[in-house]
Amino acid sequence: MTLLNNYYESASIILFGIGLATLMLNRNLIKKIIGMNIMDTSIFLFLVAKGYITGRKAPIITTGFEGIDAYVNPIPSALILTGIVVAVSVTAFLLALTVKIYEAYGTVDLEIILNLKGDAYADNNKLPLG
Amino acid sequence: MQIITSFPLVKIFIILLSAFSMPLIHNRRHIKIISIIFLSFSLTLSLITLNYVFRNGAFYFNAGYPDTFLGIQLYIGPVETLLSSVLEFVILVVVWFSAFSIDEEIRQNRIKFFYILIHLLTASILGIIYTNDIFNGYVFIEVAALASCGIIVIKEKKENIKAATKYIIMSTIGSGLLLMGIAFIYSYTGHLNMDLIHLEILEGYDDYFKSLLIIVALYTAGLGVKSAMFPLHIWLPDAHSSAPTASSALLSGVVLKGFAYFLIKFMDRMLGFEIINQLNILPIILILGSSGMIFGSLSAIFQKNIKRLIAYSSVAQMGYIFLAIGLGSPFGAVIAVYHMMGHAVTKSALFLCSGLMIEKTGKNEISNYRGLGFEMPITFILFTLGALSMVGIPILPGFISKWYLSIESIQLGKFLLIFVILLSSLLNAVYYFPIIINGFFGIENLENRVYKSKRAPYEKLAPIIVLITAMLVLGIFSKDVLDFLITGINAL
Repeated sequence: MTLLNNYYESASIILFGIGLATLMLNRNLIKKIIGMNIMDTSIFLFLVAKGYITGRKAPIITTGFEGIDAYVNPIPSALILTGIVVAVSVTAFLLALTVKIYEAYGTVDLEIILNLKGDAYADNNKLPLG
Repeated sequence: MQIITSFPLVKIFIILLSAFSMPLIHNRRHIKIISIIFLSFSLTLSLITLNYVFRNGAFYFNAGYPDTFLGIQLYIGPVETLLSSVLEFVILVVVWFSAFSIDEEIRQNRIKFFYILIHLLTASILGIIYTNDIFNGYVFIEVAALASCGIIVIKEKKENIKAATKYIIMSTIGSGLLLMGIAFIYSYTGHLNMDLIHLEILEGYDDYFKSLLIIVALYTAGLGVKSAMFPLHIWLPDAHSSAPTASSALLSGVVLKGFAYFLIKFMDRMLGFEIINQLNILPIILILGSSGMIFGSLSAIFQKNIKRLIAYSSVAQMGYIFLAIGLGSPFGAVIAVYHMMGHAVTKSALFLCSGLMIEKTGKNEISNYRGLGFEMPITFILFTLGALSMVGIPILPGFISKWYLSIESIQLGKFLLIFVILLSSLLNAVYYFPIIINGFFGIENLENRVYKSKRAPYEKLAPIIVLITAMLVLGIFSKDVLDFLITGINAL
């Protein structure tokens, strides 16, 4: 039962699937953003589960160095920190775009927006405002 | 000559620093001048690095602890330096063009942000090309995706917002898959450095065949979304056609190439072609590449908007690059890189030409361009030269890459690919030649037209002339370029 022993990894892959499906299949933009965040978080769970070794400490030396075997590898945590920053900035950008979309189309349903081809096209031929 | 090895990092730094100093400046003209000065400075450094690599070969630069695998490493080989020089050159020329054209396309208080975003984009593309660390590459890819989204949405039309949303959603799917691939490869090898990963994979890849297959699939899908591999290209036509002219040129010419090169880097430097040929992933890339070539061109035939036509042509041209990668030989990768450079120069010139046509006629449907060759001859001649390269007329870069692609597929025994390449070239001709023929010839087309009546100003034509000249140079010296690139791909 290797799948159950690696339950962190299994859970993160299931979460990844949920996030990816939400991101791809949901029509609502806000729900898509939530899906993206679930997907990213699942990857962070995967990395952090891979990086942790039971019984070891974070590599922050306060009382004295206890040998290499006493600490876990800090790189996965550092990667997740960077990953979180990236995910936050993408989320912020997407939310800002969603506000713009709502202002322009009056809806956040992507299906409706993508079918509204005609008037957007006519708009594009006007000159921009100075 | 130790200082030259730090130039790649210095370039990324000065471009980022200049980007973040721009909000302090209020004069639009000064921002343009600063942008051009910094980009030309960085191009100069690129050329010095190119010369250094040409004489001394590839080198590593440790941007952390020297002489260890800790910290981020940059690898600058022949391919990296030549590709980055060409892309930087294209960016510089497009920025030069945009200095005269961007005021008419976006709002005045957005111009500052446009140049900030272009600098971020340049720095991140350079980072993607140089880096030897996959996670660093991922961060640069995210920066590039956000910045390229920014230069689409900066026009603030309804259509732009829609296109940018579509793009960023597709792009987040891609980056999620890519990050999962990185997490997999990190837990498999325990390294982020490409060379160390390669050594680790070489040691016992027979036992990890399925994980390797998953990793390659995640990478290919993730980067395929971002670089418009055929069924995942649906965001591209909207995004590239609705953006301002300079942005379209950059997106089609430069940004796609950065992502595609990261895929080549992954296959060549991280896995090596011996391993990747044993996985069943290359035939899929080959098929997707060829279908992209055919269907991209077929879709382009039915387009009425000139920018959409050129954008679909980009899908077809990215298909050539994926076809070349999918051949699975080092020379295939060399052709892919050569095609990237040729396409970068040509496609940006075509987009700039189409921008001038739209500006002068005020319309973006192709049916309005009858007889336009008579009214704006220089623009149309430049457009024709670019289109001829896309179709594949000898000496021009488009022909060179198609020629070597055919030879390489014969050598690998894949004869069917020649027909795909030929068919795609014919389809290219089907959609480019009517524009040119209707533009120059036909009595009914040229009636009531005044010669040079819609002539574009020389300051806008000069950048396009420079790009087309670069295209001719790239075509004429193709032998030397390819010889130089070959030394880079087989280096590992």
